[in-house]
Amino acid sequence: MKYSAMLAAVGVLGAGAAFAEEPIKIGVLYPLTGGGAVYGVPAMAGHQLAVEELNAKGGILGRKIESVERDDKMNPSAASSTMKELITKDKVDIVLGGLSSAVGLSMSEVSKQEKVVYISTIPKTIQMTTDKLHKYVFRTAANTDQEGDAMALLAGRNKLAKICHLELDYAYGNDLEAGILKALPKYAPDAKIVLTLKPKLGATDFNPFIPQVMSAGCDGVLSGLWGPHFVSWVKQAAPLGFFNKVKWISGGEIGSHEIAGELKGDYPDNVISNTYELWYHANDPSHKEFQARLAKKLNTQETPQWAALGYIGVMYTAAAMEKAKSTKADDVAAALEGLTIGTPVGKLTIDAKSHQANIGQFWGPMVKKPDRAYRMMDPAEYIQPK
Amino acid sequence: MTLTMFTLNAFYGLALAMNMFIIASGLNLIFGVLRVINFAHGMFYMFGAYIVFTVTKSWGAPFFVGVLASALALGVIALVIERLLLKHLYGREHLMQLLFTFAIVLLMSDAAKMIWGTDQYSVGYPPGLGGAVSLGFVVLPQYQLFLCIVGPLIAVALWFVVDRTRWGRVVRAATQDREMLAALGVNVPMVYAAVFTAGSALAGIGGALAAPRVALVPGMDATIINECFIIVIIGGLGNLWGSFLGALAFGFVVQFGTVWAPNWQDVLPYVLMLVVLIIRPWGLLGRPEVG
Repeated sequence: MKYSAMLAAVGVLGAGAAFAEEPIKIGVLYPLTGGGAVYGVPAMAGHQLAVEELNAKGGILGRKIESVERDDKMNPSAASSTMKELITKDKVDIVLGGLSSAVGLSMSEVSKQEKVVYISTIPKTIQMTTDKLHKYVFRTAANTDQEGDAMALLAGRNKLAKICHLELDYAYGNDLEAGILKALPKYAPDAKIVLTLKPKLGATDFNPFIPQVMSAGCDGVLSGLWGPHFVSWVKQAAPLGFFNKVKWISGGEIGSHEIAGELKGDYPDNVISNTYELWYHANDPSHKEFQARLAKKLNTQETPQWAALGYIGVMYTAAAMEKAKSTKADDVAAALEGLTIGTPVGKLTIDAKSHQANIGQFWGPMVKKPDRAYRMMDPAEYIQPK
Repeated sequence: MTLTMFTLNAFYGLALAMNMFIIASGLNLIFGVLRVINFAHGMFYMFGAYIVFTVTKSWGAPFFVGVLASALALGVIALVIERLLLKHLYGREHLMQLLFTFAIVLLMSDAAKMIWGTDQYSVGYPPGLGGAVSLGFVVLPQYQLFLCIVGPLIAVALWFVVDRTRWGRVVRAATQDREMLAALGVNVPMVYAAVFTAGSALAGIGGALAAPRVALVPGMDATIINECFIIVIIGGLGNLWGSFLGALAFGFVVQFGTVWAPNWQDVLPYVLMLVVLIIRPWGLLGRPEVG
């Protein structure tokens, strides 16, 4: 009896020594329910993979990492209140995540008020790193100006003359439209936008839009319809032979394997799009190992691209805290400025002024492969902002 | 607007209306008899779509077997919900019923996440309906033409059952005076259970028939339920032909509204509903409540 009590005491002491310091708490929000969960869940998996790997190597600054994970429901007000709770109740040291641009803006607002660093790992709206930039907000995702610039470049290369423009009517769509319009005169001075339509976020029925685009006589479409919006558009427009007549140049990562693998044979011709990461294509030697670990965690060889974004957010957090030798918001924010790290998609640097990482995206046509049931991006060109 | 464009938009508006009518008809039936505003109707629609995915993709069954399976599955789910839970709430205040159906939405959305995960799915068109038909000056998608036939068929079938059969007479009587009906020896709780089951099966059919046209994702129920309510309210709560008319009004207003006033597309259906509510608070074909 005495002996076991002693053992227990030793055990408690031992544990006490290992956890002499409080863990570093990383708060993270992704949509885990509702329409955004399609991407939020794999992003969270990438986040967890990074936390597991760091903890296996001893954590950050010798302290264990505790990941406090919440659902943002892709709703700006829910995200705002959840993030406040993470900061006041759970006392997190930093907050990562978000998916929708509207959510990103509301999280950035909380970060400003509460003086806690927020790294936007997916939201793209340019406002976060321009008009609404503040000391504590950083972005490791691409932004709508970079995406718009690449789309304009591709419109020029494909010699589009009459363009139909489709964007979703919310922060991301409106900002992407602005980004494209800014860059279009540079790359495609002769191109004319003959029709602009803006379905609402979450739209599933495109009946009111398809006849208009069909009869506008465009030779190309610039589109920001992401994920389910694109799938619904394809299902409704493809029977009419729509994709035989136009080049569809799209942002919103519909070149990712998530979309190609789901649509399989229904994935249309003439689509040129983007993705942050491809499980079958690397631009950095470290990608292979990252992808293998992710494949093991998710139990599939064909891993989703969103995981890389969740992963990179945690990696930046760790690097900044190690550099600052502190977890205080002001120190971490200062460390993030100009910080360069290696990631599965190559070396990235966060600009000291704009707080924007120079992350690129793979762009290319989605083509059929003889031995595959789904399309693949080939050739995949990595377009990185200067 | 050229004649071709007008025809094309008119057709697409009609197709939109029929898509919506198929889904809204069940909601309307349930409200007409049970006086329950079923918030879970959108969730039943989503389950219908997911079930057709599982049956066709995972089990390899033909599409229309999937549609039947959706109707059956939703019928069974609805019957269980009605017999175990909902039946205790008849005659209670509407707020209780609203909260209850909302709870069903939350429970079922978690259940859907457990069964199907959060991946995005798509269902192929049934063979022979995935192409387009050319009428010379316009090209129309076959599947939407098919829905334009199914919509009125469902309307006529519902009308026949409710207006022309003995069972329908009992159902109509239940909407008027359930105590009297019970006094006459009719098993009223069974009528309620049957109507809730049939209405929910219609939601399942609506979801199953929508599945080839849309991406299947969690949350696909959210916009649908709002639009169904708009249609049912415009037409007159509980009135079959009212919701048919409501669906047509909705379809054309959204279609032509988006063409002529694209910046107003989100508000137009609500404006339509407001106008109807101001002029005829009981809906286009509804009757003012008495007593």
